[in-house]
Amino acid sequence: MTEALLEVDDLSIHYPIRRGVGGALTRRPRSVVHAVDGISFRLGRGEMVAVVGESGCGKSTTAAAICGLIAPTGGTVRLEGNAITGLSERRLRTVRRRVQMIYQDPYESLDPLCRVRDILAEPMLIHGIGGSKAERSALAAEALERSGLSPAEAFLDRYPHELSGGQRQRVAIAAALVLDPDVLLADEPVSMLDVSVRAGVLSLLDTLRKDQDTAILMITHDLSTAAHFADRIVVMYLGRIVEQGPAREVVHHPRHPYTKALLSAVPRRDREQQAKPQLLAGETPNPVDIPPGCRFRSRCPVGTDDCERTDPPLVTAGDHETACLFV
Amino acid sequence: MNVLECRDLHVWFDLPDGGQVHPVNGVSFSLAPSERYGLVGESGCGKSTTILALLGLLPPTATVAGSVSIAGTEILAGGEETVRGHRWRDIAMVFQGAMNALNPVKTVGWQIAEPMRAHGIARRAKARERARELLELVGIPAAAADRYPHEFSGGMRQRLSIAMALACEPKVLLADEPTTALDVMVQAQILELLTRLTDELGMALVLVTHDLPLVSQFCHRAAVMYAGKMVEEGPADQLSWESRHPYTRLLFSATPDLYGDEPVVSIPGAPPRLDTAIVGCPFRPRCDVPMDRCAAELPLLTTAGPGHRAACFRTESVVTA
Repeated sequence: MTEALLEVDDLSIHYPIRRGVGGALTRRPRSVVHAVDGISFRLGRGEMVAVVGESGCGKSTTAAAICGLIAPTGGTVRLEGNAITGLSERRLRTVRRRVQMIYQDPYESLDPLCRVRDILAEPMLIHGIGGSKAERSALAAEALERSGLSPAEAFLDRYPHELSGGQRQRVAIAAALVLDPDVLLADEPVSMLDVSVRAGVLSLLDTLRKDQDTAILMITHDLSTAAHFADRIVVMYLGRIVEQGPAREVVHHPRHPYTKALLSAVPRRDREQQAKPQLLAGETPNPVDIPPGCRFRSRCPVGTDDCERTDPPLVTAGDHETACLFV
Repeated sequence: MNVLECRDLHVWFDLPDGGQVHPVNGVSFSLAPSERYGLVGESGCGKSTTILALLGLLPPTATVAGSVSIAGTEILAGGEETVRGHRWRDIAMVFQGAMNALNPVKTVGWQIAEPMRAHGIARRAKARERARELLELVGIPAAAADRYPHEFSGGMRQRLSIAMALACEPKVLLADEPTTALDVMVQAQILELLTRLTDELGMALVLVTHDLPLVSQFCHRAAVMYAGKMVEEGPADQLSWESRHPYTRLLFSATPDLYGDEPVVSIPGAPPRLDTAIVGCPFRPRCDVPMDRCAAELPLLTTAGPGHRAACFRTESVVTA
């Protein structure tokens, strides 16, 4: 296994809910949203890990905590063995240079009033990279070329509205690359893009990890994309990891009933191969009132009474971990 | 008899400088009862404009030409006056953003009953009763009729907008990316619901989407649109495995399949602008197998097999050979 560059250890993120005046007066206990509840995983150099799961399972919150945008309630995140959680704003800044985020919507994440040149210069100014304007321009041009926008000169003076969706996302990636980060956190990097250009942006991320050893954590709800591009897949449900392992293993031999159901619901090109979707009843429980025992119990097709009493831990078999009593 | 016939549909917008944008350029298709028909292609190729035109919902600045008939009755020729009596009664729509399609200050029961009142199909207690039945039909307890849209999750809201679209028992349902904003499990639930409704009620469905595997799985037939024109139409499984237009083939190779090992490749370039006349095949600049002829001549939709048409000169040579 690759040496862990980024280690997430027992990370928890809980949000208290405001009670309002009535609640405060009656001293009703504060309720808490358990967005992420004790998750651990590792990301090695040059590795791409995909975090999959439905909306509200905590995958984006996890990414926000890793790059220090949210202070975790518990647990640690380590970069090359050094904890990067609970740092001062000043020390966090050096970490942020090394851990960069790419957002879902390149129509929102780029300032419409800035030229590409300025969009790429800003992170360098913040982190004190490049001594002169000329040097920053050269670095910006290089990052654009690396992001597949070539020749860079044709893009430096354009505004975001003059670019297509795919080109915008490449600019957003270039704005991360100017800092030469070790880790890229990509939150649904292609879901807003047209089908015809998605593959190009994903291949770019793939090249970055292979050629420059960048570690990539990709958050996605698209299992086909995860299966195709990631080395490992982490499946989350209601703030927990329910299964993680090598991508091929998880996709071809899923163990957790939730992973199995998710995979069966993915539309397939070949109608013959399409399994009958194993529809889960109902919806994900509210993360405020997490049921006791297994969190997936209320929707599980195979659960028994035991699952109501026992909260199954992640059990390792090979390098494939599953949190289910029946595996 | 076909429940929907769309013949040579054109939509264009006149620009202030005297130019024109032509987002739908001669689209024809027809639907049989219970049929599920996919309309696919990249953004800006005219899919959504096509179905908005079928409902007469384009802004007044748009000019629409062509013929659309439902069960033999022409609905567009008389303009808004004519289409109003058919909209929602014979042809209804499910929108992508279910939250924006629902009124936040009315109960969901009231909203589902509204089109019945508007078309004089049912009133008061009868309309309310029917609204409750529709809720049950889409898998929501009837008691939820008195609740407001914000009390429902995204998937439930999409069910509500389906119930709203079904209120007048339309013959044709148009769905514009109905599951794009939803999670995979919720998507599967909504698709199962739409499958059941089309099978049981005899309603035909047009599904606009950019998700090709979804079309392969869910639709009987599909059409691929490019630059305002249909470039290929046929049975959904033939489009995925025996596509006759390079655009269809390239769209599939740009889409990862869950167990597929083939490399995923994007299509270079972008669809052409629609405000200037295109000479030759509109897909030629991005095509991986262009010929000299494609630069000068526009390939027309020609038969490529039973129920299968494609607008590519290479198809013609295959068929005539």
